Amino acid sequence: MPNFQPYLQSPLVNFNLPAETVPADSSQQVRANELPLLGYIAIRGELADAAIAAAVSSVTGASVPAAGQFSTGDAGVLVWVSPDELLLVTRRAELAQRLAAFEAAFAGLFAHAVDNSGGLTCLSLSGSEHVTVLRHMGVYDFESLAVGQAVSTVLGKAGGTVLRLEDDGVFLIIRRSFADYLWLLLRKVCTPYRFAVAKLAESGSHPLLRLLDKQHAAPARKAVTA
Amino acid sequence: MSAYRVHRNSQRIDSQSPLKFTFDGKQMQGFAGDTLASALIANGVKLIGRSFKYGRPRGIIGHGSEEPNALIQLETGAYTVPDLKATQVELYHGLSATTTTGFPSLHFDLKGMAGTFARFMPPGFYYKTFMGPVKAAWPLYEKMIRMAAGYGRAPVEADPEYYDHLHHHVDVLVVGGGACGLWAATLAGRAGLKTLLVDEQNEAGGWMLSDASARIDGKPAMQWVNERLAELDSLGNVTVLRRTTAFALHEQNLVQALELCQDHLPIGSRNPGQPRQRLHKIRAHHVVLAAGAIERPLVYGNNDRPGVMTAAAGQTYLNRYGVAVGRNVLLMTHNDAAYDAARDLAEAGSRVTLIDTRLRGAADWRQQQAKQAGVELMLGYGIAQVHGKTAVSGAQLVQLDPFTNTVRGKGPRLSADSILSSGGLTSTVHLFCHNTGRPYWKEESLSFVVPDEGRQGISCAGAITGRWELSSALAQTHAATSAMLAGFGRSTHGDCPQGDEHEVAATRRLFRVPDGLAEGHGAKAFVDFQNDVSAADIHLAVRENYRSIEHVKRYTALGFGTDQGKLSNVNGFAIAAEALGKPISAVGTTTYRPAYTPVTFGALAGSHKADTFEPRRYTAMQASHLKRGALFETVGQWMRPWYFPQGKETMHQAVDRECLATRNSVGVMDASTLGKIDVKGPDAREFLNRIYSNAWSKLDPGKCRYGLMLDENGMVMDDGVTACIADDHFHMTTTTGGAARVLNWLERWHQTEWPELQVRFTSTTDHWSTTAVVGPKSRAVLQKLCSDIDLSAENFKFMDWREGTVAGVPAKVFRISFSGELAYEINVDACYGHYIWEQVMAAGDEFGITPYGTETMHVLRAEKGFIIVGQDTDGSMTPMDLAMGWAVGMKKPFSFLGKRSLSRSDTVRSDRKQLVGLYTEDPKVVLTEGAQILSTPDATPPAAMQGHVTSSYHSAFLGRSIAMAVLKGGSQRSGDTVYVWAQGKMHPAKVVSSVFVDQEGVRQHA
Repeated sequence: MPNFQPYLQSPLVNFNLPAETVPADSSQQVRANELPLLGYIAIRGELADAAIAAAVSSVTGASVPAAGQFSTGDAGVLVWVSPDELLLVTRRAELAQRLAAFEAAFAGLFAHAVDNSGGLTCLSLSGSEHVTVLRHMGVYDFESLAVGQAVSTVLGKAGGTVLRLEDDGVFLIIRRSFADYLWLLLRKVCTPYRFAVAKLAESGSHPLLRLLDKQHAAPARKAVTA
Repeated sequence: MSAYRVHRNSQRIDSQSPLKFTFDGKQMQGFAGDTLASALIANGVKLIGRSFKYGRPRGIIGHGSEEPNALIQLETGAYTVPDLKATQVELYHGLSATTTTGFPSLHFDLKGMAGTFARFMPPGFYYKTFMGPVKAAWPLYEKMIRMAAGYGRAPVEADPEYYDHLHHHVDVLVVGGGACGLWAATLAGRAGLKTLLVDEQNEAGGWMLSDASARIDGKPAMQWVNERLAELDSLGNVTVLRRTTAFALHEQNLVQALELCQDHLPIGSRNPGQPRQRLHKIRAHHVVLAAGAIERPLVYGNNDRPGVMTAAAGQTYLNRYGVAVGRNVLLMTHNDAAYDAARDLAEAGSRVTLIDTRLRGAADWRQQQAKQAGVELMLGYGIAQVHGKTAVSGAQLVQLDPFTNTVRGKGPRLSADSILSSGGLTSTVHLFCHNTGRPYWKEESLSFVVPDEGRQGISCAGAITGRWELSSALAQTHAATSAMLAGFGRSTHGDCPQGDEHEVAATRRLFRVPDGLAEGHGAKAFVDFQNDVSAADIHLAVRENYRSIEHVKRYTALGFGTDQGKLSNVNGFAIAAEALGKPISAVGTTTYRPAYTPVTFGALAGSHKADTFEPRRYTAMQASHLKRGALFETVGQWMRPWYFPQGKETMHQAVDRECLATRNSVGVMDASTLGKIDVKGPDAREFLNRIYSNAWSKLDPGKCRYGLMLDENGMVMDDGVTACIADDHFHMTTTTGGAARVLNWLERWHQTEWPELQVRFTSTTDHWSTTAVVGPKSRAVLQKLCSDIDLSAENFKFMDWREGTVAGVPAKVFRISFSGELAYEINVDACYGHYIWEQVMAAGDEFGITPYGTETMHVLRAEKGFIIVGQDTDGSMTPMDLAMGWAVGMKKPFSFLGKRSLSRSDTVRSDRKQLVGLYTEDPKVVLTEGAQILSTPDATPPAAMQGHVTSSYHSAFLGRSIAMAVLKGGSQRSGDTVYVWAQGKMHPAKVVSSVFVDQEGVRQHA
């Protein structure tokens, strides 16, 4: 066998966002960028079942979030999706380890974890007009979205989950196949505002940004789908 | 030129800011703050259009959204907008407008000549005349009529301006920025509620902008308005949107409103980065409708002549825009309020004769005011008929009987250059009625109005409830808003504002001013100006036995225009009531539907246009496909490669090449778009047994199986291959377009019928990238990429799957085939999708690996007789119809979906349409898909249809055409000759097996 050198590409690779990225500054009314190549694990199981909840917490270090909320823990961010579904956003490098841990923790329970890392990506959306931009795209009452809340809703004609981790901005978890559409729509509804593909904040201890793995930065490609 | 500019202290135009504009190519001047209508009137323009049916000359009648006549074409080229009401167009420098009617020209109009023969053109005229004995000539008539009819022209160039949508969630939405709306918003704002106020006009104030004498709390009303606006601006919880019309109210208080953000700016000054118009979608816990009222005219002879207007319009042009509509004005009224218009016009210098249909006239104080201003009063008279053709020259009066609406005697003939009338106010009830609310007839207000108490979630404030006096309107608003605040658990901060109390004399109950002649014998008296509906037309409709007002509306076209009957409806209902001999309350209203005023397509589309009109879904290999020159087709929103032309290849040539390369060596296809569902749980197997028609109990891990999904009627609804990952775990695939539907289907049956089954479904469609390597050399390609899977035919059989590493990436490899060839589908995390595709291309290079798209996929699968659900099936095909009885497990212990239906008498009929193959006699003929099949070559109708062609291609591999078809009793007709008819041609064809290539399956098992 030859010496294979696999590479990963995030769903928005064709927009070549790294080449467009500028430092964030306060003149930008809307800032957006992709958090590429995170790990996503769907957790299926009756969340009201204490044993399942305990298993989830043991693997993630996070408590099971209440409906419409998310929680954070060692493994990453745990998003409530439905009474029998959570989404764990985690480091891609830790996927195999997490999946194995879930399998062990769920032994004997009617619960399981499904890797969905190829199917999702995450966007950061911030700036003084970021709520207005969401209001251009979707029907949900985004002005009421408080820190700690996560809502799955419709943006334009595609689905997405909106998480508010801080006042200044939100994170959007979207499907790979709709990412292209949603990015184009986002750029379009930002027409009235000063928009920038802005450098993501330093990760520090940020629950989501710290999950980014620098070595997996998407290779730069020319925009080809627009 | 009878209208002229005057200076009014109340005027809202800036006489220091002149603006130049053109109308029908003529240079004119107006002022900032003018509407196009006020500027046109000031420039002496009277004739502005020709009527729809009779081509009668028409002028501006109203001053706002109620205007029926002044439909103009604004600007040219890509910026042109047809059918705007001149009364709603704010004037800007450089504006260019043209008239939209008149054929061949406005001043010489052929239809206008026809108008002479108007008495031969009753309601239903077109149907009665052109569709009858002269039916054959209808196309010619239609062409002529269409040329002469209609208003304006739609732009043919793409709209260069930007539009968007904005969603709101508020506690209180107030519709209308008049005194009552402002007060409701003030109270809501003071109570701390999140409040949004929308107002149609360029500035708030409503009727206060027109009524210079109104006072609130002892000060001029506009001063009070400005204080309210300043207060609202200071409240962080209140937003005021100007130039924003709430045009629709839907269920659960969703209100749509259109904001004209930049329409008032010269095109060159508009900011292309900002929306021209914005569509607001507002969800309000509570809506306050303070939409006010619109004055309706009286109905009298020739009341459509240019120079005839409503009294409210005359008063508005004067006080708001500083334009006196005439030097010699007649004003006819049946109520007190219109005296103010007469007084103001006289004060401004016009000679005004006020014709009051009431013998006693208005309350004394109003009569005194009018007289002091110089108004001449004529009490107990009405206008029988207006004189003048393209402009008003005067009117013939009659003396009215004081008790009955009849003529008592002759009146004088007066000259005039402007005639105004007031038939009272009509409440703007539209939004209240959009989602099935109904107004009621309030006799003392002579209007259909909405209830004081509103209805759940909706309050009604002010004139919309039939309160015409400012003082009582404000009092009702205060009470209704306080009640609303109590519902929110909030208290009311502030005392009810006081309008001046006036003594008012009773209104005369009059709609159609009598002229002493039987209806239809005098001059035409118009009710609906835009659709040329006269009082006589309504009487005729009733005589022809149209009893319901909805039918009268449809027969006469009453209220159908772009003005939506704002001036005409109540007059029409009243005249119909009289003709029917019923009270108006029993006649009722027609149905009010959105939109209240016209909305542009640009605003409705917003950002949902061009590349964001519909989501375009891409796979991870998109860049690879583009690099190799793929053309795409849309499949269930996915952009799938269609074929990969090289050089100047046609689709045929490309598909032939792709097919041959795949059958003879190796091809590669992106199968990532197939739906994929992770099915897991102790009862997963049992669930599959029930949802699929075939059996799943014995499928071992490492094996795949093709399954048919049936609906309750036993008809095929989806198909796909499902792999057993573990005893309790399956990987299901669905058709590309069926993924979401199938997931819903699984959830529906699980949640509603079999909740006891422990199984869960998780969509993994986007997670997996699937590269299908197809053809005799596919094994050789894979061997170059994969060392940890034994690819030998003995150890990795057809319909097996293996987990391993492909090109260094964890993969699930399925040995399945949609072509009948040896084939492998490599599934990897989609982030590796592009990488794997390129690795496969590189490894296959030595074999001439050929990427192919959906078209080649279709040919390959048809050669093998594989169906495509939705193409070869249409919701009426059972597995047996498709000769796929092998995929039905009738012996399964538990029933499966559709099983019962498979034994119904209709389902087991032997002459059902069944899937067959067809070989045309001429191998070069490729049949048309959808072509009908006959048993004989005689297609003379009526010919018995035996079935139709479902799939048809040229097969390069076979060197001839092939087709799949459904044919009655087809399973028993092998060898028969049938006749396929399409597009005038008949082709004989032989019924054969639908498996054209490798019936033994040697190739796929290789």
